[in-house]
Amino acid sequence: MHAETAKSLDIRGLQKTYRLPGGRSVPAVRDFTLRVEPGEFITLLGPSGCGKTTVLRALAGLEEPDAGDILLDERSIRRLPAHRRRVGLVFQNYALFPHMSVFENVAYSFRIRRARLAQFRAEVEAALAAVGLEGLAARLPSQLSGGQQQRVALARAFVMRPDLLLFDEPLSNLDAKLRLQVRGELRRLQKSLGTTALYVTHDQDEAMSLSDRIVVMREGRIEQVGTPEDVYARPASHYVADFVGRINALPGRVVERAAGRAIVETLGARMELAADRCPADALLLLVRPEAIRIVAATPGTMNGVVEELEYRGDQIEYRVRVGAVLLIAIEAALGRTRHVREGDRVGVELVEHALHVLSGDGSAANVDHASEAMQDPGIAAEAAKA
Amino acid sequence: MGSTAVAFPSSGTGRAWALTGLYPLLATLVLLFVAYPVVTLLERSVFVDGRLSLVNLGRLLADPHVRQVVTNTLGLGFTVALLGTVLATLYAYAMTRVAMPGKRIWHFLALLPTISPPILMALSLILLYGRRGVITHGLFGLDTTILYGYRGLVVAQILSYFPFAYLLLLHLFRGLDASLEEAAGTMGAHPGKVLTTISLPLLVPGLAGASLLLFGYSFADLGNPLLLGGDFTVLSSEIYQTIIGMYDVPKGAALAVILLVPATLLFFLHKALAKRTAFASVGGRGSVNHPQIRHPAIQGAALLLCGSVSLIILMQYATVLAGAMTRLFGIDNTVSLGHFVAVAAGSRDILLDTISLAVMASIVTAVVGVLIAYYVARTRLPARGALDFIANLPLAIPGTVIGMAFALAFNHRPLILTGSALIIVVAFSVRSLPYTIRSSVVALDQLHRSLDEASTNMGATAGQTMWHVLLPLLRPALVAGMIFTFTRSVTTLSAVIFVVSPHWSLVTPAILSQMDRGDLGEASALSVVLVGIVLLVIYGVPRLFGRDWREVARS
Repeated sequence: MHAETAKSLDIRGLQKTYRLPGGRSVPAVRDFTLRVEPGEFITLLGPSGCGKTTVLRALAGLEEPDAGDILLDERSIRRLPAHRRRVGLVFQNYALFPHMSVFENVAYSFRIRRARLAQFRAEVEAALAAVGLEGLAARLPSQLSGGQQQRVALARAFVMRPDLLLFDEPLSNLDAKLRLQVRGELRRLQKSLGTTALYVTHDQDEAMSLSDRIVVMREGRIEQVGTPEDVYARPASHYVADFVGRINALPGRVVERAAGRAIVETLGARMELAADRCPADALLLLVRPEAIRIVAATPGTMNGVVEELEYRGDQIEYRVRVGAVLLIAIEAALGRTRHVREGDRVGVELVEHALHVLSGDGSAANVDHASEAMQDPGIAAEAAKA
Repeated sequence: MGSTAVAFPSSGTGRAWALTGLYPLLATLVLLFVAYPVVTLLERSVFVDGRLSLVNLGRLLADPHVRQVVTNTLGLGFTVALLGTVLATLYAYAMTRVAMPGKRIWHFLALLPTISPPILMALSLILLYGRRGVITHGLFGLDTTILYGYRGLVVAQILSYFPFAYLLLLHLFRGLDASLEEAAGTMGAHPGKVLTTISLPLLVPGLAGASLLLFGYSFADLGNPLLLGGDFTVLSSEIYQTIIGMYDVPKGAALAVILLVPATLLFFLHKALAKRTAFASVGGRGSVNHPQIRHPAIQGAALLLCGSVSLIILMQYATVLAGAMTRLFGIDNTVSLGHFVAVAAGSRDILLDTISLAVMASIVTAVVGVLIAYYVARTRLPARGALDFIANLPLAIPGTVIGMAFALAFNHRPLILTGSALIIVVAFSVRSLPYTIRSSVVALDQLHRSLDEASTNMGATAGQTMWHVLLPLLRPALVAGMIFTFTRSVTTLSAVIFVVSPHWSLVTPAILSQMDRGDLGEASALSVVLVGIVLLVIYGVPRLFGRDWREVARS
C-alpha cells in the first residue's frame, strides 16, 4: 500500500459510557471528533483512564460506542463487526497465538481468507524480514524474547495491509533501550507502507518522536490536537503543558496596554509583550524550564534564591524560589562559566519568544493542575492566599 | 541499631522444627491409610497361596463374562466421555461467549448434580421412565424396560457427571486471554473461525482432560450401574455383586485390580495433559474480558441448549421432590409428608452419623492437606515428592476400589478398623485429601516466598509464619476444601459401601437399600433431605471466599 491508496479516518461525535454494577456510570469518551488524513500518524496521548484506549477499541470494533460515527475513506464502518473492518491492531501484550509458530501467526490473516500458501509465503517472509526475524519463522512465541515477540506482532498487523493501523501502547512492556529501537522500526515500517495509523500511549516522548500530530486527551475529551511542536510550544491549556514535558506556570497581570504593547507584571517583575498575545488582563505565563536563563542578580529584574541544584552531566537543573513560586530552570552544562551554588541569589530571565501566554486570573484556583513549580505544598498554600 | 543486632536465621527453614517434627507423623498416616490398603489389595489379587501368581487375574480375563463386563465398562465410559465433553463444551462456550439472559440460573442448575449423590439421577429416572414410570407408564401406558441397560446408564451418567466437565471447561474458556480472540477478530476471523482456529486448539488439552475426567467418573460410578444396569454389568457393579452377593473376596480383589489399571492410566494421561494446558491460560498481562456474541441465531441456539439441559436437570430434582411428597408418585399423587416422617423416624441416626463423620473428615482433611501442601510447596524435606504422590493416588483410584482396599486391609491385624467410625472418617478423608492438597499448593505457590522471608526476618519461626501469615491467606482455599470434603463425603456411595456397618451406617447406602426394597418414596425423601443439607452448608457457610467453592476445589 502506498500513500496515495491510504485511507482517511473520520471520527465523529464518538461517545462511550461504561455502566458499572450498582448503577454507576463512567463516561469514558465524550464527543470525540477527529479527522485523520490519509497516511497520517496520529497519537492519542493522555494519562490512564482518559479514554484513549476506548477510542482505539471502538475503531477496531472491539467496543460498541453509544453514539457517533466512524468513517474510513468516507464510508461508515460503525456497524461492521471487527472481523470485516480491515483494521489492524497491535496489542499491548502482543496477543501472539501461543499454539502457532511465528510464521503461522503472521500468516493467520491469509489463512482466514483461505489463501494458498504459495500466494502468501513470500509476503509473510518479507514481513518477517522487514522486522529482522527471518531466521525465527519456525519458533513458537514462547521461545522469543519480548522484543522479538513485539516484532512478530508488528509484522502480523502490517502484513494484512489494513486500511488503518492501531497501536495500543505496544512498547510499554519493553525495556527502555529496546523501546527506542522498536519505536524507530515501527515508524519506518508505517512510513514505507503509508498506512494511516493511530497510536495510543501515555508516554510523551513516544508521542513526540512518532507522531505527525498528537491528540492530548483528558477525561474522555480532546484537550488539544496539534503537531508535536504545537503541543509543546503552544499548549492549549496548563494541563497540556504539564502533561507534555515540564512547565513553569506563572500568574501574570496586564498593568498597562498601549500602542499594541502590554506591560505584564509577574512575580514582582515587569515585562513587555505584544498586546495580542495577552487574551485577558489576568494571565498565566507558561515557561519551559529551558526557556529560563540564570543570570547575575541585578536590581529591577526578576530575582530569586537557588534552593536546589542538580548536576546531570549534560544539563544542570536549578530550582529557584522567586516570591511564592519555585521555578525550574535547565541549562546545558557545557560552557558554564559562572559558579552558582545553592543559596545564591540569582537573576532569572524569561526568554520572551518561548513564553506561552494563557488567560487566567493568576490565582491558585486557575493553576488547578499542580505544575512542578507548585508541587511544594507550602508554596501552593501561599499562592492560594495571595 | 548496631549494638542490638539479633542473629536472624538465614533461611525460612532454619527454625522449622515444630512443623518439621510433624512430618514423620503425616508420612506414617499417608503410608498407613493410602499405600497400605492399595498394597493389600494388589497382594490379595496376585498372591495365591502365599506365592506371587497372576493365575487369578489370568483366569478372570479368560472368562467371557468378565471380558464382556470389561467391554461394557470401556464402551460406557467412552460414550459418556465423548457425549459429555461435547455437551460440556457447548454449555461452557454458551455461558462464556454468548450474551443471553438467565446465566446465573443455567449455572446453578447445571451444577446441581455435582452436589447430590449420583444415585439421585437413577432414582428420578426410574420414577419418570421406569416400568411404572410417570412418563413411560403413566403418560404412554407402556410397560417397558427401555431405561435399564446401556442407554439408561449413558443418560444417568451424563446428567450426573457432565457438570464436572462443564466446570473444568468454564474455567478454561474464562481463562483464555481475551486479546488472542480479539486479535484473530481484527485479522478477519468471524466468531466461528475464532472458535475453531484459536479457542478450541488452545483448549485441546483441556477438552482431552474433560473427557478423561468423565471417563474416570463413569468407571467409578457404582450407584447408577447397580440401579439402572439391568443385564448390562460394568466392573464396579460386578465387584459389588462378587463381594456382597457371592462373598468371593479374592475374585473381587482381582476385579478391582482390573478396574484399577485403566483408571490409573487415565489419571496419568490426564496429568500429562494438564501440564500442557498451562500455556493457554492468561499470562500476567492478558485480559479475560471476553466479547459476547450478539448474533440472534447463536443466542437462540445457546439459550435453547442451556435452557433445555437445565430443564431436564430441574425435572430430575422436581421428580425426586414429588416422589418424596406424594404417597406413591405416579400412582397415588396425594400430597403427604409421610415419607419425611418415616425418614425422621427411621433414618435420623443415619443422617446425624453421616453429617458428624463428614464434618470430622472435613477437619482432618483440611489439617492434613494443608500440612502436606506446606511440605511440598515450602520445604526441602526428603521424600516430600513421594509423599505428595502417594497422598494424591486416591484421585486415580475409583471409589469402589478404595472401599474394597479399606475393607480388606483393616479387618485383620495389625490394624482392625472394620465396623468402626474411624474407618469411615478415614475413607472420606483419603478420598478428598488430594483436592485439598492441590488447592493449597496452588494457593501457597501464589503467595510469594518473600512473605515467609519477611516474617522470618522479623523473628518468626516457621510455625508462627504458618499460623500468622500463611493460614489466614489460605483460608478461602481451606474453607472451600472443607465444604468440598463434606459434600463429597455425604454424597459418595462407592467408597463407603464396603466400609459401612450396622453400627455406623450412612445415608447413601441407606437410599440404595430403600430403593432395593422398592421404597422409592422414602428414598426420595431421604435424598431431598440430603440435598437440602448440602445446599444449606454450601450457601449457609458464610461466603468467606470470593469464588465458587467447586471451582476452587478443582483448580
